[in-house]
Amino acid sequence: MRDNAKSGALTEVTFFVLLSLYEPKHGYAIMQFIEEKTKGRLVLGAGSLYGAIDSLCKKGWIELYNDSDIRKKEYRITELGKEISMRELSRLKELSQIAESIIGG
Amino acid sequence: MAKKMFRYFGGLTLLQENWLNKMAANGYRLIRTGKLLYEFADCVPGAYQYKVEFIADKSKSDAQSYKAFLEGCGYTVFYKNANLNFSVGKVRYRPWAENGAKLATNSSTFNKELLIVEKENDGKDFVLHTTIADHINYCKKWRNIWLTYFAALALMGILFAFKTPVTAIVLGVIGIITLIPSIVYQAQVTKLVKQHDLEE
Repeated sequence: MRDNAKSGALTEVTFFVLLSLYEPKHGYAIMQFIEEKTKGRLVLGAGSLYGAIDSLCKKGWIELYNDSDIRKKEYRITELGKEISMRELSRLKELSQIAESIIGG
Repeated sequence: MAKKMFRYFGGLTLLQENWLNKMAANGYRLIRTGKLLYEFADCVPGAYQYKVEFIADKSKSDAQSYKAFLEGCGYTVFYKNANLNFSVGKVRYRPWAENGAKLATNSSTFNKELLIVEKENDGKDFVLHTTIADHINYCKKWRNIWLTYFAALALMGILFAFKTPVTAIVLGVIGIITLIPSIVYQAQVTKLVKQHDLEE
């Protein structure tokens, strides 16, 4: 998973994982959330999700919330993760406004 | 009725995956694995799908954590050996593995180099890795493994060069053969990195 550090742009997968964890969830629930919200357009493989969770935990954007069941460890977004998400939302709004002003819609 | 079969695929994960999927298509579901053993139970033909993943680069705790994560996603997961080694107290150095996994022993990931992942067939494609970054890492992993073999053979070739030149030549030839997959994987890495940059 490679987010663009220079422009601050997140990959779609990163942003969706962060959004999914405003409510604590385990891996399978994150996959279902993303598939449901994108109506099946974005389907994340379990292997890729495992790597994404690992990477976001190391960055401190998400954290382990409950590991009482090793098979269904729950994660949640951190304050830093919320800040990053807000920044991404602002970036996307700005992008959307510029695009609308040029393309219309 | 249980059916036992004996096969050895080594590190040929795709070959093993295809064979397991063929068995499932013929109505046999994997229920147990041994070093050479695959034990199957009857099932509805095509009811299950399989993926075989190479995990020898992971540390013991990371491999366990990944296996548990996949199980939590609803899959059935089996450890499988890529090596065929029956010794006890084996220690192997894996320079290409992640930190904490460079020394593989019988109590960590030695003889547990692969995961066989089983999914109930729901009509959807069975994929574990869906991002380009993941595919790049996968290719880099295999490239580094083959480069390690090349480096080891080249070093042995140099050591033998002064005493037994014929042995050195044989090692050199084998070494060059191991370079071929390294180059193939590097070409794939370069291609995927370019594709990744375009999508960024």
